[in-house]
Amino acid sequence: MKTIEYLTDPAYASLFWPGVAAALLVALLCAPLSPFVVLKKMAFIGQGVSHAAFGGVGLALYVAALAGVGGWGGAHQIAVLAFAALAGLGISVLSKRQGTDTAIGIVLAVCMAVGFELYRLAAGVAARDPAVGAPPGIEDVLFGSVLNVTPGAAVATGLAAAIELGGLWWIRRPLTAWAFDEQTAGSLGVSGGRVRALLLLMLSVAVVATMQIAGVVLATAMLIVPGVAGLSMGRSLRGAIGWSVVSAVLGVAFGLVVTFEFGVQPGPSVVLVLVALMVAGRLVGRG
Amino acid sequence: MDASPSQSPSGADHAIRVEGVSFAYDADADLILEGVSLNVRAGERLGILGPNGGGKSTLLKILLGSLKPTAGSVSVLGQSPVSARRSGVIGYLPQRVSAELRFPLRVEDVVLQPAAVRTAPWRRIGDADRAHAARCLEMVGAAALRSTRIGALSGGQLQRVLIARAIAAKPRVLLLDEPTVGIDVEGQKRFGEMLDAVRTEMNLTVVVVSHELATIAATSDRVACLRRTLHFHDAPHGLTPEVLSEVFRHDLAIFQASGAKGEACCGHDHDHEDGAGGGS
Repeated sequence: MKTIEYLTDPAYASLFWPGVAAALLVALLCAPLSPFVVLKKMAFIGQGVSHAAFGGVGLALYVAALAGVGGWGGAHQIAVLAFAALAGLGISVLSKRQGTDTAIGIVLAVCMAVGFELYRLAAGVAARDPAVGAPPGIEDVLFGSVLNVTPGAAVATGLAAAIELGGLWWIRRPLTAWAFDEQTAGSLGVSGGRVRALLLLMLSVAVVATMQIAGVVLATAMLIVPGVAGLSMGRSLRGAIGWSVVSAVLGVAFGLVVTFEFGVQPGPSVVLVLVALMVAGRLVGRG
Repeated sequence: MDASPSQSPSGADHAIRVEGVSFAYDADADLILEGVSLNVRAGERLGILGPNGGGKSTLLKILLGSLKPTAGSVSVLGQSPVSARRSGVIGYLPQRVSAELRFPLRVEDVVLQPAAVRTAPWRRIGDADRAHAARCLEMVGAAALRSTRIGALSGGQLQRVLIARAIAAKPRVLLLDEPTVGIDVEGQKRFGEMLDAVRTEMNLTVVVVSHELATIAATSDRVACLRRTLHFHDAPHGLTPEVLSEVFRHDLAIFQASGAKGEACCGHDHDHEDGAGGGS
């Protein structure tokens, strides 16, 4: 088994462990949010945010390359997060005038287009100037990578997960009341606008953290598939969140095994395992 | 009969005061409401009857503070509607069930929500709150459903549970928008009795909005007819179905005389008074 070799052989371990740790943390970070994303029909917003984040990736890479910094690091990540949060905000503002799906369609396309051009420019700068390291490969950006995760990024993912889980626990009651019935939440003293904005911010953080592992294209799957599995297995909200976590962690773990054994990008293999688990969950949940 | 309601001159015991309220969605759009004045006494049950598109839901949204009147003033328990809603004194049941019924919550969880959102994140929901929620379920006759999943309830059961949720927040004013759509006449009568028992125990002021005469008859002491402008019909000796049906016929004649394209107080389940075309 290559998986065991990669994770135990000292020659490989320091290369692979940060990515594996970050992937498992991403599962913990996304899974509790996922049932809410599914129930509030925010899946497509997540998709919009993750694709919009690609614009942030291009921008971060290009600005950094101009400043003589290549590769991929924590500063890039923070810039992408800010960009994604702004895109999420832009989507909610545009939604009011254009309708949500149109707003997402516009923001997604513009950010992907701008992101790709900036990515090429950054690659051009790196090619001309040997002092600037090359940006990560486009396949890694789109479909994820384990090896690009640095120990610093793994620690940052852990911090993000801790803050996000804490925040989710803190607002769990107003969040549930609002998610259950948006129209009457106001008469219970819950500020719908504030809860929605917080959820959108959490969504952005989750998407950006997931992008490292699953890439821009597949990041939202982590926010949708475990939630669907959890909701079909769980008999209560707590149960749904619990099953969502179980399926996300199993999906990431087995997805990484597939990645290591066959030498493929982690995004697609994690997503395929997650979907298999979701189907199994639905069958068991109904039976 | 286009008179303002009989009321005590001091106005101190008024739960809701509406004075000269007009509303249009745009500056150049037709008025949905025009010069509406309304005083609701504390503890009263007021029914607002009107055709689809007559401005009923718009008036409720103004009372809730989610729409601002174009002209006129509104106060709920002496506060602006927005601050009244934020302080949780207004209970509200929207016309269509807006709740997400796929949520894996039990009836008890739903009725505990008002207490839950007022409990600090690090505290457990108190026993007194739990007892109150259980009492609210009893009041609406849904105590047996407390462990049922919200998605498994019938339409009538769900409505009772949502009323229990609204009153569990301990509001002082309860606003109900078309609460008996799809319920037969016998069911409406039982609904009215349940609502009256709730009002008495919780010391509530209740405003029910409907296009159905039987609903208003079953739930109200006093009735106002709303079709852009508001017409009061006081019934000092209690509003009997006979009196109401008289009122209803009277208003039906008014609606038809003023060219309401075939709309009457009864009929469709859907209100479209959000549109700019309403109430012209």
